[in-house]
Amino acid sequence: MTGQHTSVEPRLGPPAAVRQLAVPVIVIGLLGAAGYLVFPEDLAFLTRLISITLLVLSLDLVVGYCGVATLGHAAIFGVAAYAVGNACIAGLADPLLLLAVGGLSGLVMGLVSGAIVTRFHGLPQLVLSIAIGQLVGALSNKLSSLTGGSDGLSGITPGRIFGVFGFDMFSRTGYLFSLAVLIVVFIVLTRLVASPFGLLCRGIRDNNLRARMIGAAVYPRLIAMYGVSGVVAGIGGALMAINTGVVGLDSVGFERSAEALVMLVLGGAGSLWGALFGAIVFQLFEHVVSAANPYHWLTLVGLLLVAIVLFAPQGLGPAVASRWRRLRRAGARP
Amino acid sequence: MKKTVGFVCAMAVAGMMSAPAYCDVIKVGVIGTMSGPYALFGQNFKYGIEAWVAEHGNKVGDHEIEFVYRDEESPNPAKSKALAQELIVKDKVQYLAGFYFTPDAMAAAPLLEESKTPMVVMNAATSAIVEKSPYIVRTSFTMFQNTVPAAKVAKARGAKKVAIAVSDYGPGVDAETAFKKTFEADGGTIAEAIRMPLSTTDFGPIMQRIKDSGADMIFTFLPSGPPTLGFVKAYIDNGLKAAGVALISTGDVVTEPDLPNIGDSGIGILSTYHYSVSHDSAENKAFIADLIKAGDKPGDITMTAVAAYDGARLIYAMVEATGGQRDPDKAIAAVKGMAWVSPRGPVSIDPETRHITQNVYLREVAKQDGKFFNKELQTFASQPDWGLRK
Repeated sequence: MTGQHTSVEPRLGPPAAVRQLAVPVIVIGLLGAAGYLVFPEDLAFLTRLISITLLVLSLDLVVGYCGVATLGHAAIFGVAAYAVGNACIAGLADPLLLLAVGGLSGLVMGLVSGAIVTRFHGLPQLVLSIAIGQLVGALSNKLSSLTGGSDGLSGITPGRIFGVFGFDMFSRTGYLFSLAVLIVVFIVLTRLVASPFGLLCRGIRDNNLRARMIGAAVYPRLIAMYGVSGVVAGIGGALMAINTGVVGLDSVGFERSAEALVMLVLGGAGSLWGALFGAIVFQLFEHVVSAANPYHWLTLVGLLLVAIVLFAPQGLGPAVASRWRRLRRAGARP
Repeated sequence: MKKTVGFVCAMAVAGMMSAPAYCDVIKVGVIGTMSGPYALFGQNFKYGIEAWVAEHGNKVGDHEIEFVYRDEESPNPAKSKALAQELIVKDKVQYLAGFYFTPDAMAAAPLLEESKTPMVVMNAATSAIVEKSPYIVRTSFTMFQNTVPAAKVAKARGAKKVAIAVSDYGPGVDAETAFKKTFEADGGTIAEAIRMPLSTTDFGPIMQRIKDSGADMIFTFLPSGPPTLGFVKAYIDNGLKAAGVALISTGDVVTEPDLPNIGDSGIGILSTYHYSVSHDSAENKAFIADLIKAGDKPGDITMTAVAAYDGARLIYAMVEATGGQRDPDKAIAAVKGMAWVSPRGPVSIDPETRHITQNVYLREVAKQDGKFFNKELQTFASQPDWGLRK
């Protein structure tokens, strides 16, 4: 994977930076516009989809790019959401500032849990990540003055963006705002994973020992990446809190972590596009199926997962990418 | 770019203007737990509503009423809000109903005023929900409503020192507060207040603590399901029942579908609740017959069915009062103070809190002809939500 990437890099030449910028803007922008125009009445769902997509992207940074096994990532997402909720209730109404609060609390949570989780490898690491998730979940239930306990933290009413665009029941503002945030985050992450830092993280994932041998400081790098991942998850949590107005225990729960991992595996870990498509495909499918049959939709979601594991074990992203490459190669031949 | 912005704006305006002015089919969006571990209660929403429709037809005047169901399988406010919004904006529902979990109901509340949609809460039991919007009416119960009579019973039965054991989450904490406040105001003492984690399966240590506290009665609340069974078994196995320490709870611990699992050991457990499936009245007999016709199994009937049945009554009354127009103020005004005889007994909507005022019954688990049921012993008439009446 690493070798393949480095061989692609020089061929892009000078316009590479431009392409790195333009492709996400165009693709996500088009997808977003399509969502807006085709489903103008489902914007609340699409807005929630974007928050979760940010969580999946954040998870990809540690699982896909660093090879860290974690099932407790929602802890970061949820803590940030609670922080944003409390900040808003305390009187901080500006959505951009609230986003910053989410990012910051995500950063802190990411650094702390990263410092603990990346100390270990394999199963102990996984168990530790679950433990952190459970700990945060139990605390959220206990500290009901800060979190509202199982009733949820309600009464979050953010102000207008730039003092102009208010949040309404059609979620138009919320959707466009979230979409803009997603595009910016995606561009930043695209640059980050292609940077020397990102490449080193992939090196650590592929061969930890060799990375040490060439003199890389493995542990600090992993914590740094965990911090970045925390910021992204925190922004996702902030968007969720801002758009929903209520933060419940589900946002720190184990199920949220597990679901995000499922979406990531579905799309293909180790690629930002894979994470993006996994999150979109899974949630769209779930949404359509649960509306069509509110009683047995979980079974159909299970069948989808089985089908994907059977027919595209690498995830949807790589499967589509390899098909695309094969098509292009076929087209290039005279 | 400028063009696209203009286009998007035009689309947005067109979208707002295309809302239908008048429609002969009035849709009601019902959000309930239709799948997952709580599916039984969501299904009961449906059966309760279908029982009402079977009795009164699907038309109010010229307006046809259509119920649209959506699934909230777990407490997930973001999902609930998205569902409510979709129902309002896309399916153009005039009323929202259902809601099993409190956070899910809370998340939908901010949408009501802007969209002019009244909402009938059919389960979620935290007192504060009705305060979140003037367009919320509730036909279920609150923890306070059912717990305050339990404390009165404890006092009347001569308990001096009570041990409280509740599940450690919102409703459990509410139950603890309500019981403690009422019982202490009546001059009783709380020997021990224990909050048990929701995932507790071994209740032995808790029973030991209760034993050590020297309490002469136990008050408990746990959400219905496997833990209640474990709790009751531990209570008997540790010799507390034999030692004469009585057990009182809210009806959530001894819901009818759970009684066969608790078995003979459950006989004699006291509980206070707003509805027993075995409630002896003509209205309830007719209601149960309708539920069974709608497809509910006799062993699966729960309190959410009666809440949904009465909720459907309110919706029909609101449609009638507004002539099918979207006018939430008129609709809510029409049901404030409304009184009728429900399958659970005489009820009314408190004009101040928009919560249902109802009888709460003291019941005892009993067995007749091999079947377990909650035998009503005493009636506490017209109980308001004690959590809102401070």
